[in-house]
Amino acid sequence: MKMVTVTPEKCVGCHDCEMACAFAQSGDSCDRRWSNIHVSVSTPDRFVMPVTCFHCARAWCMEVCPARAISRNEETGAVVIDPLRCAGCKMCILACPYGNIRFDAQKLVSRKCDLCGGDPECVKHCISGALNYEEIDKLAERKQNMFGYKLVRMGNGGEETSHE
Amino acid sequence: MSETRIVKTLCRMCDDRCGIDVHLDGDKITRIEGNRDHVWNRGRLCIKGSHGLEMFTSPQRLKHPLKRTEQGFVEIPLEQALDEIAEKIKGIQAKYGARAVGVWKGEAVGFAQQEELARRWIHAIGSPNYFSNDSACFASRWMGGGLVLGPQGFQADVDNAKCLIYWGQNPPNSHPNVTQQINRARERGARLIVIDVRFTQIARQADLFVQVRPGTDGALALGIIRELIQNDWLDHDFIERYTLGFERLKEYAQQFTYDYVAKETGCDAAALIPQIAREIRDSMPRTGIVVGNGFEHHENGVNSIRAVTCIDGLIGSVDQKGGKYLPVGLDIRYLPLYDQKPLKELEPLGADKFPVLYDFRHECHTMTLMDTILSGEPYPIKAIVMTAANPAITNPNSDKVRKALSSLELFVVRDLFLSETAQLADYVLPAASYLERSELVTHGLFHTVTLTNRVLPPPPEVQDEYQFFHDLAHRLGAGEYFPWENEDALNAWLLEDTGLTLEELKKAPSGYQYARPRYQKYREREADGEPPFKTPSGKVEFVSDYLAGYGYPDLPVYIPPKTNQPDPDYPFALVTGARKLPFCHARGHNLPALSQALRSPEIEIHEADAQKLGVKEGDQVRVTSRIGSIVIPVHVAVADEIMPGVVQITHGWKEANVNRLTLDDTFDFLSGFPVMKSVPVRVEKEG
Repeated sequence: MKMVTVTPEKCVGCHDCEMACAFAQSGDSCDRRWSNIHVSVSTPDRFVMPVTCFHCARAWCMEVCPARAISRNEETGAVVIDPLRCAGCKMCILACPYGNIRFDAQKLVSRKCDLCGGDPECVKHCISGALNYEEIDKLAERKQNMFGYKLVRMGNGGEETSHE
Repeated sequence: MSETRIVKTLCRMCDDRCGIDVHLDGDKITRIEGNRDHVWNRGRLCIKGSHGLEMFTSPQRLKHPLKRTEQGFVEIPLEQALDEIAEKIKGIQAKYGARAVGVWKGEAVGFAQQEELARRWIHAIGSPNYFSNDSACFASRWMGGGLVLGPQGFQADVDNAKCLIYWGQNPPNSHPNVTQQINRARERGARLIVIDVRFTQIARQADLFVQVRPGTDGALALGIIRELIQNDWLDHDFIERYTLGFERLKEYAQQFTYDYVAKETGCDAAALIPQIAREIRDSMPRTGIVVGNGFEHHENGVNSIRAVTCIDGLIGSVDQKGGKYLPVGLDIRYLPLYDQKPLKELEPLGADKFPVLYDFRHECHTMTLMDTILSGEPYPIKAIVMTAANPAITNPNSDKVRKALSSLELFVVRDLFLSETAQLADYVLPAASYLERSELVTHGLFHTVTLTNRVLPPPPEVQDEYQFFHDLAHRLGAGEYFPWENEDALNAWLLEDTGLTLEELKKAPSGYQYARPRYQKYREREADGEPPFKTPSGKVEFVSDYLAGYGYPDLPVYIPPKTNQPDPDYPFALVTGARKLPFCHARGHNLPALSQALRSPEIEIHEADAQKLGVKEGDQVRVTSRIGSIVIPVHVAVADEIMPGVVQITHGWKEANVNRLTLDDTFDFLSGFPVMKSVPVRVEKEG
């Protein structure tokens, strides 16, 4: 199953993903407050981290929802909220350890990432390559490669990296 | 149910020209996405790019020509508009001389072809006065690099670099998809150094970030040069065989000690210069140094760019894999008439004051133009034909720009929208967007050429630039220079010397690769008995006899910016001209959904300065330079996002137009670029 993977070492905090998500969600505004993905940035701490729903295998939001408004899309694996069933109790927001569910104060329902039906806008708008929509093993593979290059560089004092 | 399809073409919401997939349902565009097969952006697109749809479908799009009357703008038929414009141009040229008419190209409509068409047209009707946005952006980099390496394209070979130095450039905002290119190189072990006045987005991933005061980059570059020479981290073979003036540069760089560089730049030079130099040593010649627009808007920008480019020469990274690559060009035919009708005797405006700008770019000087329109000196200029520029927002001293353009006898603007500048025009003509035209576009670094697809035909009275200049030229007796039936016929002619055909290019909508990368081409030229480089000496020039011939210093001398000695009345150094991701200069602000991405202009000010002024996030301040004043909300920058004493305002917002503060009488002495990144200003709490 594919997911939105995050490589924080590549994120520059441009917020393009948030603008794209906001537009996909609202249909008429790139105001980042409508976004379901969130990029945390702290300059003093030299910290930048995009966070979006992991669509957990065991999703606490889904387990806790008293209205059974949260289900898993069989096709994409996305954990999705049915706004017509959502009672607006906010239990899911309390249950999510990562802050990936927000409250729509106009519609009075919870909202979260739905993977755009399997074609996530955040990834298509990620100009740094930090976000990818891929199998999780693909991320592991890439991380191993990056780590390998780091080791090579440290091992030879930066003189030569296998670059071809 | 109508048929859905995808048409591939290039984006032109900024100048990076990413590959796009335009989705259509019948003849209706439904969405725009990145083209996965395009080498530049690999399927990704910034928010501007996907909002090309919002631009295209905007109800504000101009569809009919407008004429200014006492009752305001009224719609008139296209043929009538062209007839009237042509008659007025004839009258003005008869009365004041051919050179009383100028043309000015901006960037808001098509790709690059409009530039050459505008140049061709203005010379065809007998005037040498071609103006453009390039005399406030880009041309200084071309000149600074070109003075050292020769006038030609040069780009850091990002993909193959072992160390990338982004200096005065923040790709996430200005060249968004370059960010993924940088990250691909980093993924393979490349190091990243960022040198900037601000802790920018790209700085967030830098292995080393160096912060300098505005306009002091030249001092740092010369400090790095001194360090490389002292440690003998040089490519001696390259220096001996292919460069000019090493001993002079070496001698000059001696004074750029750690102490002096620290005093000028405000950075810890004793620690940072050796670190930068070691990164260069470890990566050379695969050191890709990128010089950004941050260098350009200072009194000594070109020389700072020359100094940085000298580093490429010292380490032999010029035209090396992973270094400062000189792409193989494509022999597309040249439209301007500088050979057939140079018109130099007609004194192109500004060429006397800024001869190097004219020699290198054949650009007249837009700041001089405003004074000339108002004063009639050195000769009258009474008509301007402008394609898709918005200088009422983007040129320095906007108040003067508005006054000058409003006082022309004839001011014609072609654009997609009734921009702030178009509102000053006598005639506004609707222009075809990038989705309604077909042009030849090259991506030099990847050696690709793309024939952009006319996704939909423009509405009946909406013209592409070729048709517009063709129709006017024929009315003005210069039809012989515009013999092609339409844009497609022109494209076929442009390709004739390349051996390529339009049909071949149509089969490669994601770009046709016309050449493979070839490095160290200077060796090939040397072997063929040609000068290795296109400079006057044929070598990489650390010193320029050409500049000395004009009475300028031959070395890339450093002159401290005025803001290093703060004026008590204007104690802050104002930086402007850096983009925000959702907008391209003045463009995009009129699109409702996109403009919500950043709803307000702001002044970035260091937290210590904000505290001293007694202002917090969102408070209004008044910013005043010696020519004007604006009121704008505060954004408090934390840590080293900006230096104390430095403030930043992004241009393009009509609500708080920073160019009402920027100076149009203080220039880079070589390029004539306006000082927009070290403007002395005062900041006061408002209300």
